[in-house]
Amino acid sequence: MTNDDGLSRGFRQEPHVQAGWHRPWLGGPLVLAVGALILVGVLALPRENAALPVIARHAMEIAVPVWGQAEVVSEIVYGSRGFDTFGETFLLLGAVAVVLTLSRPREPRSEYVGEASEGRAEQRRLDPDEPESGDERKARQAESGEESETRRIRMSVVVRVAVRTAVPLLAVASVYTAAWGYTPGGGFPAGAAAAGVVLLVYAALGHRAVRHVVRSAVVEPIELAGATVIVALGVAGIVIHGSMFANVLPLAQPLTILAGGNAQLYSGAELVEVATGLIIAIFSLLGMGRDWTIHDDDSQQVPAPQDEDQ
Amino acid sequence: MIVVNYVAAGCVFCIGLFAVVARRDVIKIVMGLSLMEASTYLLLVSMAYRRGATAPLLSNPPSGQTQRDVVHGTVSDPVLQNFCLTAIVIGIAVTAVFLTLAVRVAQHYRSVDAADATALRG
Repeated sequence: MTNDDGLSRGFRQEPHVQAGWHRPWLGGPLVLAVGALILVGVLALPRENAALPVIARHAMEIAVPVWGQAEVVSEIVYGSRGFDTFGETFLLLGAVAVVLTLSRPREPRSEYVGEASEGRAEQRRLDPDEPESGDERKARQAESGEESETRRIRMSVVVRVAVRTAVPLLAVASVYTAAWGYTPGGGFPAGAAAAGVVLLVYAALGHRAVRHVVRSAVVEPIELAGATVIVALGVAGIVIHGSMFANVLPLAQPLTILAGGNAQLYSGAELVEVATGLIIAIFSLLGMGRDWTIHDDDSQQVPAPQDEDQ
Repeated sequence: MIVVNYVAAGCVFCIGLFAVVARRDVIKIVMGLSLMEASTYLLLVSMAYRRGATAPLLSNPPSGQTQRDVVHGTVSDPVLQNFCLTAIVIGIAVTAVFLTLAVRVAQHYRSVDAADATALRG
């Protein structure tokens, strides 16, 4: 049995199956009471034949004349409620910063997933004459998406060809969604689709296919550039019109690519923010799995490094 | 009968809340939180619905209507649709943070049982 076999088996022990209930006799009645309150509340909500609220009607009326947007939801996201979108974006940025901090690996790493590759670079630098061991080779094969002990099932040729075909279409669709702004939310769904493109490539073709893009030195500056554009739009609104996120760009003809003034630039920056934020969060989580080795709590079996304090 | 959607959203919320308060598995607690978030999406989109309404789109009015007719006619509530988008992004951010915490708890305590994470117990 190899170490990798042990690692796989360790993951399959599913430790959470032992975690049981916490005072269900107390939680059950509490939830029923909350449910009764919710029922009373939802029965008093406006129904499908209620008049549209004044604020919604106002948004419909100003969408084209004030913001040059024929897509009213996008007008609200990047126009009327631009400040709220700003807060939401920086909440996402804050969450990404928290995920990065919590998932920080023990060793300095230029990629979110890829400690084995980092180890090879460090070994080449410190001790270039030492040959690569069998375990190290398996770890790197698994990391790069090649078949190995820890990744027994390689994606079939059907999946790989399908992904290679779909990825360009999805990438173009995501940019189109944000650029033309006819989709509710514009940059939000477009950013999620762009992150999905990277994840599809990673899942089908392995780490090696995305390692030149999904690394701290590339993704994090792009995310901060998107955030800078959003801040600059807000500040420009204050300086020019005395209102944060007031439109400062000329309004082009509705239904053209430059329609919406600020909104299109804001939407593009949101695409960048959402895409990079999701990529960082997901790959940070994937990289955390690599830190969990079966030997960590078994120090008696693993001799301490001789030069630990040197 | 949009009230059925409202009640369904309330039920989904309560199922998520029950997972949060009554389960000890941190992964299931995060799943419960995600269910609670998802229930708000259903509620917001349902509240935005109007019988016989068109989408709040001014680019292609339905046949026989002008853009002005759409502005003053029956449309789905665009503000609540916007709230739903906001809720989705915040939900993703919160779930990512909680999942990261869950993985760290699992790595540190070798358990995902919240009852084992007792380091802060006074």
